[in-house]
Amino acid sequence: MRPAAPATIALEGVTRTYGHGADEVPALRGVDLTIAPGEFVSVEGPSGCGKTTLLNLLGLLDAPTTGVLRWGGRPVGDRSDRERTRLRLEGVGFIFQRFYLLPTLTARENVELPMRALGVGRAERARRASGLLGEVGLTRRERAYPHQLSGGEEQRVAVARALANAPGLLLADEPTGELDSGNTQAILDLLVRVRAARSATLVLVTHNPEVAARARRHLGMLDGKIVRDARDA
Amino acid sequence: MRGFGTSGRLRHTRLQAVLAVAAMGAAVALPVVLVSVGGGVYDHEIASIQNAGYQIAVSSAGSHSITGAHADVARFGAVAGVTYVSPVLSIAVTAFNTTGAATAVLAEGVIPGEFEPTLGSTESGLFPSPLPLGDPTDRIHYANGTYSGPATYDVLVSSPFAQAYDVRTGDALALGLTANASSAVRYNVTGTFGVPPSIIGPIGAFAIVLPLSDLQVMTGYANGTGTIVPDAVDTIQIVVTGHVATDPSALESVRAQIQTLVPYYGVSSLGQEAAQLQAADSVLTGFDLALSSVGIAIGLLFLALVLFRRVESDRRAIGIRRAIGLPARSIAAGIVGDGLVLAAGGAAVGLFGGFLLVTFLAHFASSTVQEAAQLAVFDPRMLAELAAAVLALSVVASLAATRSALRLDLSEALR
Repeated sequence: MRPAAPATIALEGVTRTYGHGADEVPALRGVDLTIAPGEFVSVEGPSGCGKTTLLNLLGLLDAPTTGVLRWGGRPVGDRSDRERTRLRLEGVGFIFQRFYLLPTLTARENVELPMRALGVGRAERARRASGLLGEVGLTRRERAYPHQLSGGEEQRVAVARALANAPGLLLADEPTGELDSGNTQAILDLLVRVRAARSATLVLVTHNPEVAARARRHLGMLDGKIVRDARDA
Repeated sequence: MRGFGTSGRLRHTRLQAVLAVAAMGAAVALPVVLVSVGGGVYDHEIASIQNAGYQIAVSSAGSHSITGAHADVARFGAVAGVTYVSPVLSIAVTAFNTTGAATAVLAEGVIPGEFEPTLGSTESGLFPSPLPLGDPTDRIHYANGTYSGPATYDVLVSSPFAQAYDVRTGDALALGLTANASSAVRYNVTGTFGVPPSIIGPIGAFAIVLPLSDLQVMTGYANGTGTIVPDAVDTIQIVVTGHVATDPSALESVRAQIQTLVPYYGVSSLGQEAAQLQAADSVLTGFDLALSSVGIAIGLLFLALVLFRRVESDRRAIGIRRAIGLPARSIAAGIVGDGLVLAAGGAAVGLFGGFLLVTFLAHFASSTVQEAAQLAVFDPRMLAELAAAVLALSVVASLAATRSALRLDLSEALR
């Protein structure tokens, strides 16, 4: 399957506020950001600074309270919920800190899930899922259920699932947060490798400076604002 | 869509599923029992009417209030199309067997030659033919209303009675109105007859059949008072033949002619009675279903709550699916599918449970309930419609849960 061409993503004066009235909590306060296709971006910052909110907006899981979010130059607000869902299915791969595999499905079934939603045939799904699990080093664990896998293996399955529909954008929210150092390095190597192989955009949220160091562009956040935007030479 | 989490949560999910299926099952079993048994009893009664050997019945309120019965046989018999006219007098009397044991029995006084053709297909095989009751016309003893002719003192006894009191053909059986054996009159048992295997309806298990004039004398002259016997009966059953029997309008014409002869009595055709019963059956079925709809509504409410609770406990799993990009219709289909599976399980349990309950009642319930349960009719079409209705309503019941799932805040669910 050919990877979907990554799109330029732009945030213009984006705010995101949760709650109402006295309970109102601003998570993002006027963020301006452009991410070019194929960039590897890390987002760092203390807890509660808005990293996950930013990631959810980039992945179309959430919508700005004010401001404009553009995908490929077109405001996402113009798109229907169905269109945004389709964009997510075809264009975005999520990797979560807690893996979030579906416990009643095997590793291969978890990887097949996005393909099923896209209408890929059974045989093709199985072939592609096996290939992806092989790519992340889990050829022999296809039939294992999540509770039969180690944390590192679960995250590998999650990476394979994120790659299932060959998305142009990979969003990883603390992907190594629950892993030991050995697995952290292995997952990072995997992410770097699959991103490079697919020329995909990778946005990685982390607390860990060593993990962030693998990126080429480094965003620092504080109190809902981007306070640092640095690129490696 | 299964629970997301520990085995304890999965057990909880299974318990909810079991309870939802049980609730739906109980809700479905109720109409299965009510409609099958109620419909069965009505069908039995309608079949009894349709299988009767007569087509028109003359009746009047109170006991024995049709007077001049022997005369009516001639009057009604003269109406074109009428072939037999059978007056019937029913009264409880006391029977004393050869050992002196006394018991109450239902005595039916009939004109043998007129009575026999009124027997339906079920009853006719239960009686000896011709009826061994002496004079088939009952005119000899009746003797033009004087009751001075010789009586045959023949009587037929029902098989249950004969068996219970060791009465055989050829035995003597004393019959009287009171428990005083000295005032009883001796009759000759000339045969036995069976009773239909149903206690529903006007047939008594302990019964005797004897000539109408004999029973009239017993009720009017038993104490030797010498008062005039009123020639009274309870009902007069009329048999028609030819096109009158098959043409409803011709039958109605005959009924109307008889009604003209006795405008002070009720004259009805059995077709009318069957139609009235069918109408009553429809009303009762409607009432049963209305009553059952309360149970089904509660079952569906329970189902809706279980689905809603599942969505609440599966928020993360739903969030993951939505985040991956599964379309809303896929999520909705999962919840509706869950509802359909639970409803189908409940419908199956209810249908089978209702069937088992009726079977149990037919074997182990008290007499009348048992008899009614034995008559139950399981109409496949009605059961299929019931199951289809429950499945369709389960889709409605899953709407609230579906709405909740589709309005899920993804960033909240994945936190």
